[in-house]
Amino acid sequence: MSGATTAAYLARRAAQKERVRILYRRALKDKLNWAVHRHLFYQDASDLREKFEANKHVEDLDTIDKMIAAGEATYDKWRHPDPYIVPWAPGGSKFTRNPVPPSGIEIVYDYGREEND
Amino acid sequence: MALRAAVLRHIRLPVQTLTATGSRPQPQWSFLRLFSSHDDHLTKEEVIDRVLDVVKSFPKVDPSKVTPDVHFQKDLGLDSLDNVEIVMALEEEFKLEIPDKEADKIDSCNLAIEYIYNHPMAG
Repeated sequence: MSGATTAAYLARRAAQKERVRILYRRALKDKLNWAVHRHLFYQDASDLREKFEANKHVEDLDTIDKMIAAGEATYDKWRHPDPYIVPWAPGGSKFTRNPVPPSGIEIVYDYGREEND
Repeated sequence: MALRAAVLRHIRLPVQTLTATGSRPQPQWSFLRLFSSHDDHLTKEEVIDRVLDVVKSFPKVDPSKVTPDVHFQKDLGLDSLDNVEIVMALEEEFKLEIPDKEADKIDSCNLAIEYIYNHPMAG
């Protein structure tokens, strides 16, 4: 195959590998969202890993691109509507709940004392 | 009264800054304020212990080879997908949410320990 190890080929492969890793990460988190119980999650996680491993040895760039696009479409289709996000992260329940007050504002502890005391 | 105020405004006393008298060793890169209720961040030894425990309990890893500067793919012979799984396990252990781009870069125990130690919300 011409251009087997040119820089452009390698750059494209590296970009594809990164897409695959990010897709695997999101799909795994999604599996955890759907299957809350760990034993079900382990089952689903091994199935997902099998699917990724089966296509590990594909070399043709265009086929890989198509497979990644198909994988991302499947992931979009199966996304959980209410994923678990850590509370302080964007999308979580505690995010920007108690923002830091602007500087210069402070609480005056006068305990209701009148001003002319 | 006005004279007193004027005199006070002009006199400057040297302020003695309190030096930390070795009561607690303060790491240089920490951004925690001492003597506040926010000094419950993890110590480096705790982070290292927990990270190594997580890596050792991974089924494809040989526990005797795990050290704090082990590289997941080069030294432990893991796959890039295994790397993703380890990072997810670390996220679950420390209750963190690591963005995808950052998580992709965590390749070795060193990076993981550094990232978690410097994260303000590491549990």
